[in-house]
Formats: sequence, C-alpha cells, structure tokens
Amino acid sequence: MSRIRFGKYETICLLVNLISTQTFLGFPRTMVEIAGTAGWILVIYVYVLTLILFLFISKLYSHFEGKDLLDIAEIAGGGVARVVVGSIIVAYLVFAVSIILREFSENMKVISYDASPVSYISLFFLSGMVISAYIGLEALMRYSGIAVPIIVTGLIAIFIGVSPFIDLENLMPILGNGLYDIFVKGVLRVSTFSPLIILYLFNPFIGSNRNFRQAGVYGISIAFVLMLLCTSIYLSVYPYPFSLQSFLPVHTMARTISLGRFFQRLESVFMFIWVTNALIYLSSGFFLINYVFKKTFNLVYYKPLIIPFAIIILSISLLPDNLMSVLKLVNDYFRSYVWITTFPIPILVLIAARYRVRGKKGVKAR
Amino acid sequence: MKKKDNFLAAFFKKLAYKKKPKAKSFYIPEINEHSGNAGAGPQDPAGGGGAKKEGKGQGKRSQKASGAAAVSTDINENLEFISQSFNLPENADIIIRQFTIAGEVRAFMAYIDGLVNKQLVSISILRPVLSLKSGDFERGKKLIDFIINNVIEISGVKKSANPSDAIYGILAGKTALYVDGCDSYALCETQMFEKRAVETPRVENIVRGPQEGFTEDLKTNVALLRRIFRNKNLVSEYLNVGYRNNIQCAVVYVKDIINPAIVKEIKRRINSIDVDAVIGDGVLGQLIEDEAWSLVPTMLTTERPDRTAYCIAEGRAAIIMEGSPFAIIVPVTLFSLLHSPEDFFLKWPFAILLRFIRLLSLFLAALLPALYIAITTFHREMIPTDLLISIIKAKENVPFPTVLEILLMEVSFELIREAGVRMPGIVGQTLGIIGALILGQAAVQANVVSPVLIIIIAATGLGNFAIPNFDLAFAVRILRFIFIFASAVLGFYGITLVLVALTGAIASMKSFGVPFLSTAAPRVRKSFDSFIMWPIWKQEMRPDVLNPLDTRKQAPISRKWTKEDPDSGYRKGEDDA
Repeated sequence: MSRIRFGKYETICLLVNLISTQTFLGFPRTMVEIAGTAGWILVIYVYVLTLILFLFISKLYSHFEGKDLLDIAEIAGGGVARVVVGSIIVAYLVFAVSIILREFSENMKVISYDASPVSYISLFFLSGMVISAYIGLEALMRYSGIAVPIIVTGLIAIFIGVSPFIDLENLMPILGNGLYDIFVKGVLRVSTFSPLIILYLFNPFIGSNRNFRQAGVYGISIAFVLMLLCTSIYLSVYPYPFSLQSFLPVHTMARTISLGRFFQRLESVFMFIWVTNALIYLSSGFFLINYVFKKTFNLVYYKPLIIPFAIIILSISLLPDNLMSVLKLVNDYFRSYVWITTFPIPILVLIAARYRVRGKKGVKAR
Repeated sequence: MKKKDNFLAAFFKKLAYKKKPKAKSFYIPEINEHSGNAGAGPQDPAGGGGAKKEGKGQGKRSQKASGAAAVSTDINENLEFISQSFNLPENADIIIRQFTIAGEVRAFMAYIDGLVNKQLVSISILRPVLSLKSGDFERGKKLIDFIINNVIEISGVKKSANPSDAIYGILAGKTALYVDGCDSYALCETQMFEKRAVETPRVENIVRGPQEGFTEDLKTNVALLRRIFRNKNLVSEYLNVGYRNNIQCAVVYVKDIINPAIVKEIKRRINSIDVDAVIGDGVLGQLIEDEAWSLVPTMLTTERPDRTAYCIAEGRAAIIMEGSPFAIIVPVTLFSLLHSPEDFFLKWPFAILLRFIRLLSLFLAALLPALYIAITTFHREMIPTDLLISIIKAKENVPFPTVLEILLMEVSFELIREAGVRMPGIVGQTLGIIGALILGQAAVQANVVSPVLIIIIAATGLGNFAIPNFDLAFAVRILRFIFIFASAVLGFYGITLVLVALTGAIASMKSFGVPFLSTAAPRVRKSFDSFIMWPIWKQEMRPDVLNPLDTRKQAPISRKWTKEDPDSGYRKGEDDA
C-alpha cells in the first residue's frame, strides 16, 4: 500500500464527489426544512464553520506528516486507542454506506424502476462496489479524476438549463425561518462535510501536509459552491411550499428543463451522472471500510473482507421498511450526529497524540 | 489397371458377399518419457542426442544451455556434431561441403539450402580457400584467423568458439566454415532468401504522408526506420525468442531519450519467455503485455515506419519481429490508440476534428445499440413525441422485443463482416455490401426488424470501422454486446454500471509501467498531444509519463525565424515606398 500515491487533483475530485453526493439526494430540501428560504445562508454558514474546523485540524496534523488517524491514535493511546478509533470509523462508514445505498436504490426505484424490488437495484450497486474494492484504491482515485469533472459539468448544465425559471422573489423573506434556526439549529449540519474523514485516512497517500491542507480547502470549497448553487437555484426556481415537498430536488430541476419542442424530459440523462456519483461514493466508502478494518486489526490483506462486508452492508441497507424510514433515519440521526466522527474525535486524538509526543520528548531531554 | 469383371462374375461376387479386410487405422502412440521412446524430442543443437524434457518449474529451456561448451579441434567430431544437430541424413536441406585446403588440411562448410546466396558462397568463400597454396599458411588453431582475415572475401565474417552459435548462425542463413585443428568456426554472412518488397501499408492507409509499410524482413524494417531516424543513438538490440523456432526480434529505441528502465523491462520480459514457437508479433505481444486478461490492448501495433520513428523519438521503444510486418510500440496510453498516423501530417485543427470524430465513433460503436434499447425499453419519456410516434409506427409490425432485434442484426452484421474477411479480395467486399443491403432490406420487409434499427446498426458499424486501432476496435465489438445486455436488464442504470466498472478497470491498467489513462488519470504535466493535438511548434516536451532522459523535444522557441528580422523585411503598417 505504501507505494500507492495519488495527487492533490484526484483527492480533491474524490472529496468533491463525496460531499456533493447529498446534492443529488435531499440536501437542498433539508436546508429549506431547517432555514426556510434562507437555506442558502445556512449553506454558507456551515461552510465557514467547516473551513475553520478543518484549518484547525490541519494545523494539528502538521506535526504528523504522512500519518493517518489510526497511526496517530496509536501514538496517542497505543493499540487500544487505534482499535477504538478504527472501530468507530468502521461503524460510521458501514452505517453511512448502508444508508446511502438504500437511499440511492429507493430513489432509483422512484425515478425509473418502479416495478423492480429495492434489493434488486441495491444488488447492482453492491456489485459495483465490490468490483471497485477489488480493483483497488489507485483505480478508484483515477476514475474520480475523470468522472467528477463530468459530474460537475452535468450539474452545472442542469443549473443553467433551469435558470430561465429563476424568480428571486422566491428567496424572500431573506432570513427564512429566522436567525435562531439558521445559526443554532443549523450548526449540526456541519455533518454535510463529514466525508472529510477520508482525508485523515488517506494522508499517507497524499504526500505532504501542504497537499493535505490544499486538498481539503479546495475540496470543501468546490463542493460548497456546488451546494450553494444547487440550494439557491432550487429555492429561487420553486416557491417555498413546493420546495419542501420534492424528494429529489436535482431530479425535479432536471424534469423542469425544456429546451424547445424537441429536447424535453431530459431527466434520464441526469441518471448517468447520478449513478456515477453514487457509485464513486459507495465504492470509496466501501473500500475505506475494508481498509480501515484491516489497519485497525493489523491484518495483512483487505480483500478477504470484501464479500463479508458487502453482505453486512446489503443486509443493513434493507433493514428500514421504506423510503420514509430511511429519510427519517438520515435526517434525525445520521446527519445530526455524524459530525462527531469527523471533527471532535480527530481533534481529541490529535491533541492527545501531540501531548504524548511532547511528553516523550521532555522525558528524553531530561 | 484393374481388369473389369464380366457381368456374370460380378453377379456371383455380389451373391457370395465377402467383407473386405479393412486396413488398420493410424493412431498416435503415447510417448513414455522415461523409456526413451520420445523420438526426436526438442531440438538439441549442441548434439546432446536424446530428448531433453523439462518439467514445470525447472527453469527456462534454452537451446544454448545444453550440449558441448567448446568447439572440438577434430574435424570428424565437428562433422558428427553438425550432422547430429541437423538430423542428417533425413534433413535434406543441410548442405555439408567437405574439401581439402592445399591438399593437406581438411575443412568443411555447412549451410542451409535456400537460405544462402550460393554464388556468393562459391565465389567468395570456396574459391579463395581452395586457391590457397601449402606455403601460404601455417597449420594449427590460428589458421581460422588467417582465413578470416586474409582469404574470405565477404564483409561480414565472425569467429565463433561456441557450437550453439554456429548452429544458430546456420539456421539464420549464415555459412559456417570449419578447418581441421581449429577450435572455432567462421560464420559468414551469406543470407539471401525471398522476401516481399516494401509496399503501401495495408491496414493503416493515409492520404498524406509516406506510403511505405514494414515487410516481413527484420533487417529491412530496421533499415526503414534508420532511413527516417538518422541518429547514432538509435539502437537496435536483437534478442532470440521461441525455444524451438528461435526467431529474432529487435528492440529499437533511442538511447539518449528513452528511460533505461523501459528497455531493461522489455528485455527482461522477452528473455524470460519460455515457449516453443513465437510466430509473429501477435504472439509476442500477448506474451509480454501487462494486462493479459484485459479486452483493451495495452500496446500499439503499427505497420508504418514513420509512426514507429515518431514513437521512438518520443521516448518509447519498438519491438519488431522477424517475419512480421508490424512493430509493437510500448509503453502507450489509451489516447495513443485513438491517434492515427495521419494526424502528424495534417494541420492541427484538422487533426483535432479527426480525433473528435474518432471519439464519436468510439462512443457510437460501443454504446449506440445499448442506448437505443435503454431509451425504447426503460426511458421512453426521453424520446420527443414526434420521434416516438415514428419509432412506434415503424415497430408496430415487428413481433420481437428491441433487444432481440438488435441481437439479430448485430449477429448478422458480425457474420457478414467475418465472411467478407475470409472471402478473397473483391468477392469479400461485394459480399459485405450486398449482404448488408439485402439482409437489411429483407429483414425490414419481412417485419423482422424496424427500419430505425437498421440505421442504428449501420451507424454502429461505421463507428467501429472508424476506430483507428484494430485491437481496440475488436475490444469495442465485444464491449458493445456487454453494454447491450446491461441496458436490456437495467437501462441507463445498467449502462452506467458497466461504464463505471470498465473505466475503473482501465484506470487500473498499466502499459509497461505507464498508467493507461494518463494524462487524464493520473494527471501529469500537460501534454500537447494526448487527445487534443496542439500545433507542432507547441509540442515542446516529451510525454511526462514516460520519464524520458531528455524531456525536451524542441527549443522553447522552435521557429526561431519568427523572432528574427528577414534580410529584406518591413514592419506592418510601414509605407513600403
């Protein structure tokens, strides 16, 4: 593994993909639910918070160049800390991948495959994940480098296509549900940027701390621009009551596009970028599960874990009864608490490791 | 002639029918490895005699590894060695000509009839040697040196003290001369065999640019390259492959450009090949390529010396085999496979246009039938109403589902193509055109397929033919069927899944250490000739992924005349008067 290296560009692409996956799901609607017509302000607020937190974490990381979070946990508290941190991350990833798998499959069923069972659709996503995990990280990163610009272009094309329907009146009142909802209730939405955790785990492959910091800042910022565009355009195209109802805001926008008499109902083309985005998210998440598990428990290979984890993930993803249960799970629990693994835990681990290293240096000096 | 029976005799013979004794049928007996009944076994040039079979894991078999290590000083032993090695007297092609020099020293020449220029052998070797007089030379081990330096009238003569080299030399068309008492052979370059003349390339035809293609003769091919690329650092290293056919291949590269690790790796792979016969570049390519299980080729095959020269000037290596009119270029990327030799001879905007057309053709060839199935089966809402009505009208009398229609036509198309290739010349072309027309027309009239589908299949076929690389076009033919099945099962979702898996697999592939999708993934220094071809004078650097010794192809300002004033010039806007 140590010979694997990928560039800043590929890392940024992957990060943009992972964060912007929510754009394809219910992200704009969730923002509207929390902040009303000020959903776009909430996006900016969450971005600024995330950026500050990330810069603080990257400052702490500067003392541990080339080490991932598990290595740092080991420095902080030995093997036990590594196992604890690794298990938390694996649990988070298993939950995240399972839920997103189900969410994508359900949405796919709603869009085009209403006659197919969810398990059937999930199975194909799962096979893509398994193939990607076997092919390996390098290929996944390279693929992201090619696919993400296409996905971003596709998204922007949808935004441009829907732009004739923009009515800025729909953004009024400007502060939506009020300052409390935006700045207090909205804090938990830093979870939006929870995929940042990959940076803490891919640090050995990224190279220098400078690359780490730049990849993070660029990744967060590009994803923020996309999400801001998506939320603000969604809000300004549809009246507030309608924007609360759409399950798939981007799909709804794509349906609205009408370029003359011939090019109408282009939302199926949107499926290409949608499925690609989902597969990159699920595949990288799935790879990370195997990789983190392997590293946590000091295993030699990760490939024997692929099939067992695939079965676990499929089983968990099929546990919720229906799409409503999935959405409730995502909004009430997943998005409310997932920030804990991305920000507080790494900060605690990094501070503990820093003190540990300083302590050792002090003992040596004496 | 057999005497004809009269009617009565024939009648009685019929009555008294007697079964004819049947002749025994032939069968191939099994070889008992331990009993020594293995027959000739693998060729043992050093005259080991019996068969030498090596099991799995016993290392590389080598013709040079076995047999005598040094040449005997006794002529009888050497005659015996040559005779045994070439299976004389059964082998009628081997000529051993014995003679006596100045009536006192015995000698012999050995060569293969048909591979040598007999006139040259007679005039330049035999006649001068036989004209030696007894006082002209001293007997002993040095006599062969004297003959090489003073007697033989051929420019290419090499002394060889290794019996295996002598055998290989004879097999390659050289004449081996042995003189009694010496411990070496003189190997004279007397090769001459029938070969095809340099002709126009058959697969890579272009409008502009050279019209010469490689031939089956290795030396001619290397000479064609040297004629275009006149550089003292152009190196052609010759290696032998194939345990039994022992054929030569040349690794050609520019020493001060290519990364030495690439050459080392090519030689390592070729030298490690342990198969009986390597016949042609296709076999060699399969034996040395990185991704043996991949559909997409990771090597570029070209029959054009100009393209080969361009590639080696970029820092790649060419592998040319004896008996094959193609050169294998390594390492390459996927983008190289979409280039045509014509691109380099056209102005860059034309080349860009052609490359976009080729990309479109790749897209059509791989995806068009699958997209048609997906749209008409799963995503009908996408089709504009007017078009939908005309598709439905055309399809209303067709009883088959779209996927079956597509498969029927695709299989027919593949059959026509394969039959067209197998049929000779004009007949094949006619069969292709007539077959496609008649089959398409008849299928539509019989309501087996819809007319729209004929358009889809025709566009797909055209797209496939427009792909410039033969191997890549083949891969696309197979991938098309995979996409068809995926779209029949899951529509756009299925196509995207296969597309993601395929791109992921291609992204993980390497061609002699070079990531196959670079310069796109991984991103490396901007290339001015990957997919989009920039003007020639902007292509200053060699491809970054090759890590060449000399990264710069041109000076920062390659057209220096643009910065210099001409002897008789004027500035724009100045009054000429």
